[in-house]
Amino acid sequence: MSLPKLEELSQSVWQGPSLSTGAIPTKEWMDTPVTFKPGGYAYPAKKEKLEYLDSQPGLNFPFARIWSPEEDDWLLPDNWKDIILKGLAERLDKFRSLKIFMDCCVRCGACADKCHFFLGTGDPRNMPVMRAELLRSVYRGEFTLAGKILGRLAGGRKMTVGVLKEWFMYAYQCTECRRCSIFCPYGIDTAEITIILRELLYSVGIGINWVIEPVSNSTKTGNHMGLQPLPFRDNIAFLAEDVENLTGVKLDVSFNRKGAEILFVTPSADAFAEPGIYTCMGYLLLFNALGLDYTWSTYASEGGNFGLFTNNEAMKALNGKMYAEAERLGVKYILGGECGHMWRVVHQYMDTMNGKTPANMEVPVSPITGTVFNNAASTKVVHITEFTADLIKHNKLNFDTSRNSHVRATWHDSCNPARAMGIIEEPRYVLDHVVDKWWEMPENTIREQTFCCGSGTGLNTDEIMELRMRSGLPRANAVKHVVDQHAVNTLACICAIDRATLTSLVDYWTPGVTVCGLTELVANALVQKGENRVDMPEGLRTMV
Amino acid sequence: MSQQQFDLAEGFRKHQEEILARWVEYTLSTYESSDFFKKEKNQFANPIGGNVRIALGELLPLLIKGAGRSAYEPPLERIISIRAVQQFTPAQAVSPLNAIKHITREILAADPESKHLNGELYDFDFAVDIALLAAFDIYMQFRERIYSVRIREIKSGSIVLTDSKCPSKLLKPEGEIPMVQAGI
Ligand code: SF4
Ligand code: SF4
Repeated sequence: MSLPKLEELSQSVWQGPSLSTGAIPTKEWMDTPVTFKPGGYAYPAKKEKLEYLDSQPGLNFPFARIWSPEEDDWLLPDNWKDIILKGLAERLDKFRSLKIFMDCCVRCGACADKCHFFLGTGDPRNMPVMRAELLRSVYRGEFTLAGKILGRLAGGRKMTVGVLKEWFMYAYQCTECRRCSIFCPYGIDTAEITIILRELLYSVGIGINWVIEPVSNSTKTGNHMGLQPLPFRDNIAFLAEDVENLTGVKLDVSFNRKGAEILFVTPSADAFAEPGIYTCMGYLLLFNALGLDYTWSTYASEGGNFGLFTNNEAMKALNGKMYAEAERLGVKYILGGECGHMWRVVHQYMDTMNGKTPANMEVPVSPITGTVFNNAASTKVVHITEFTADLIKHNKLNFDTSRNSHVRATWHDSCNPARAMGIIEEPRYVLDHVVDKWWEMPENTIREQTFCCGSGTGLNTDEIMELRMRSGLPRANAVKHVVDQHAVNTLACICAIDRATLTSLVDYWTPGVTVCGLTELVANALVQKGENRVDMPEGLRTMV
Repeated sequence: MSQQQFDLAEGFRKHQEEILARWVEYTLSTYESSDFFKKEKNQFANPIGGNVRIALGELLPLLIKGAGRSAYEPPLERIISIRAVQQFTPAQAVSPLNAIKHITREILAADPESKHLNGELYDFDFAVDIALLAAFDIYMQFRERIYSVRIREIKSGSIVLTDSKCPSKLLKPEGEIPMVQAGI
């Protein structure tokens, strides 16, 4: 009896339609329609959330409706194509970068293998150059002479419902992490192409709920979780009580206090969700040890800005609210917590988008060391990590690293603070002082070349867990290496989304690894006057 | 059997590298766009290619030896943990393992010195069968792990990035608390 040949085996196993990832390709990518199956897409934005946002001044979220990606008919408005093409024309005119990105790619392929979505799926449309091509082909086909005449020969195509569906699939398989951009000889930033794709999709009512609901909540109550002032205050007060029980130090925490020198803004996940709450306890302890004149706001109660994942108007509005509160309270500057995209917006877009800060704000100066943060002269917001690194540099903090002896850490550079903002050395400097020893992941996976958690830009929702595990594979693979080599048990980072999403990522790929924030480790090791600590074998996570 | 002919161990020694290369190549061909996965040798730049290469490289000598299920498990976990979260059916996820039987036969048959060995692969086939069955169990373990990761995420409160399941809603009376009422 002869065994089936290799080809027969392949055929019998690989029969059926080509899946968007994983299968052996049979056609040109332009001819392969995308199919949406459960687990392959994030749930659409809820109608009432879009309606609420659309009703807000300055925001535009039209065509709210109930629809499903799995249905053939997405219930698009009749003139959807005009809206998209007009929207693209407007943006080509308004954003010079977009026009350049559309024209100047030479298809050298340097970016192709740099995206974690491609590396985790093998899907050619997840190569950054191809992701951009999804938009560029329409730009060519509808806007350039060569494309209009030659069509496919010039890489152009017409805007169709099939193309729109493809945009929805692949604009939500990009975390706007910008890793590809650092390898592009022309600096083409595919993240910005994804941003435009998502904006255009929202203009015809297509979006995902995991993004829209936080934007809606932030607009309404000031934070992603929809926490109103009292519960927000109570959560922080509850964490302060935990810190007092552990350390014996009485904390002085204020909310909405006018005349405070500093307004502290951090992701609301820090106030509410594990493991961010331990980082939040760290902030409380650190600020108390310094005697900082700071206040929390129960209105600007969110550092995160999911507006970045919808359209520039929403991003601008959410960024503006922090400054409105800074003005109302009359603070000199904002100290920002361990957040990711808050920093992307502040660092990359705010200056041109929101313009000048309120008149009461000043160039930030550390009240403890006198350091002037000239790098924050225009935005008036200092990153907690540069603030802490400066304190350490000036010997203002005492540490007992043995208090972190349960920690064998490695460092994850979160895309936004690291690649978009350049906060690369500061966290390493802080880590050096608060733990005895820590281990770097392989060099092509850290610093500017860091791999995304795989779940940024609002993709941190549980219905696409497999997709998140695929896109997080390059990160997890590097974590696994230091776990195997050095028995690392802690993955530290400075991003609230990362703290949540990496927790799931390591639970799958390297169970037993804990994810924590940097300020948690700082506070664990902090020695301060008048303390009376209980035995804290797990630092701030110790249960009392 | 003539004097010049190899025994099975020699046949494998001579062809192991080629068998492995073909096996890696075949496994990576199951990805839509696999050129890079096959080419790039740095396992951190290329996690799928790297892990497949490492796992199959460890597994092949173990199968030749007939080392047994517990020995096959670590390399199988390395490869199946990845394929369990990709868009493969269960059969697609494990089928490249089975391919080693055919690859081995084709390569041994192509060499006159080792051609006759195809009749002696019963033990090797048996080892592959054991590995394949183990791979199904491992596939299921990782599928179950992903479900439990999802449940843990929902339970942990990480999910409260939107208000739909926010426990603070339970603290709230009917209607909204006016901001002034917060007294802060
Ligand atoms: S690296 Fe830049 S120029 Fe080269 S293909 Fe990618 S986007 Fe185009
Ligand atoms: S920005 Fe990041 S996720 Fe998007 S295409 Fe580039 S590498 Fe991929």
